[in-house]
Amino acid sequence: MKLFVNLTRALVVALLMLSTHAFTQQVQLEQEVFEIARDLRCPVCISESVADSSAQVAIEMREIIQQQLEEGKSRREILAYFQTSYGDWILLNPPKRGLHLLVWVLPVVVAVVALVVLGLLVRRWLALSRERIDVDEAELSRVRQALNQES
Amino acid sequence: MKRILIVLVVAVALGGLFIFGLTNTSDDRDIKSNKLDKPVPAFELPLYERYQSNYGDSLNLKDYQGKPIIINFWASWCGPCYQEAPELELAWQKYQDEALFIGIQTQDKGKVAEGEAFIEQFDLSFPNGLDDNSRIGIEYGLFGVPETFFVRADGTLAHKHTGPVTMAVIDEQLRAMQQ
Repeated sequence: MKLFVNLTRALVVALLMLSTHAFTQQVQLEQEVFEIARDLRCPVCISESVADSSAQVAIEMREIIQQQLEEGKSRREILAYFQTSYGDWILLNPPKRGLHLLVWVLPVVVAVVALVVLGLLVRRWLALSRERIDVDEAELSRVRQALNQES
Repeated sequence: MKRILIVLVVAVALGGLFIFGLTNTSDDRDIKSNKLDKPVPAFELPLYERYQSNYGDSLNLKDYQGKPIIINFWASWCGPCYQEAPELELAWQKYQDEALFIGIQTQDKGKVAEGEAFIEQFDLSFPNGLDDNSRIGIEYGLFGVPETFFVRADGTLAHKHTGPVTMAVIDEQLRAMQQ
């Protein structure tokens, strides 16, 4: 009887562990699906990612992502699958090549140019502040006199 | 003088962008297909009952290579699809010996009765079926409905038309594909 009880307990624990493991795996898979879906533009929506949209096409695209993940495909392979149908348009992060490279390079170039211009301006202002100001001695004594009289 | 020049350059650039924005009237949805001049994806489309006696339970695209194919994607909720349906039927009557027309109801999950009513309303005699999970639409890089794909006899995509298709477009595209 005791053996039966122990066996039942062990079975229950094993089942619980298995279901917890399966649940964790499912949650991880769903997180991965949404991470990939966040990089894809919903083709029938306006300014929405496949992750954010509740459109039927977006739901189906998330299912395709899940299926392909279960088949062992990588993130890059899944994105490439959608690119085959929709081209680069489908990617919310433009690929780092061709004309798209401008999107990545331009902000860095603008930031560097802005820093250089700012540096040059600061240097000029500092140099100006250090410059000796030549004042006529007679004029200086007139100002001093005026200040003394005021005080 | 230098400052005026810089302000002028910036003003001209911003003004140019503003005018471009105002005058750019192209439809945002009219995006060139990534499948252009490439083989179109194969599919097997479950057909509505009224077409099954002529084409079987489902239509396999592979079985119809060798002549131009016009694939029209539509949905029962789509207004412009109702506008183009009579034109498509007329075009099918005119060209059925030269090309195959296929109607694919997509982005319309589970809407079998609505699909049948649509087909009934326009008495569409070319094969139509339901892409229930929108997978064919996704494979074709569909942005919305209606969209019409003109496939050459060798199975490559010649043209994608966005919006309601007309007899003039079908005439022109079929002529171009036959040349």
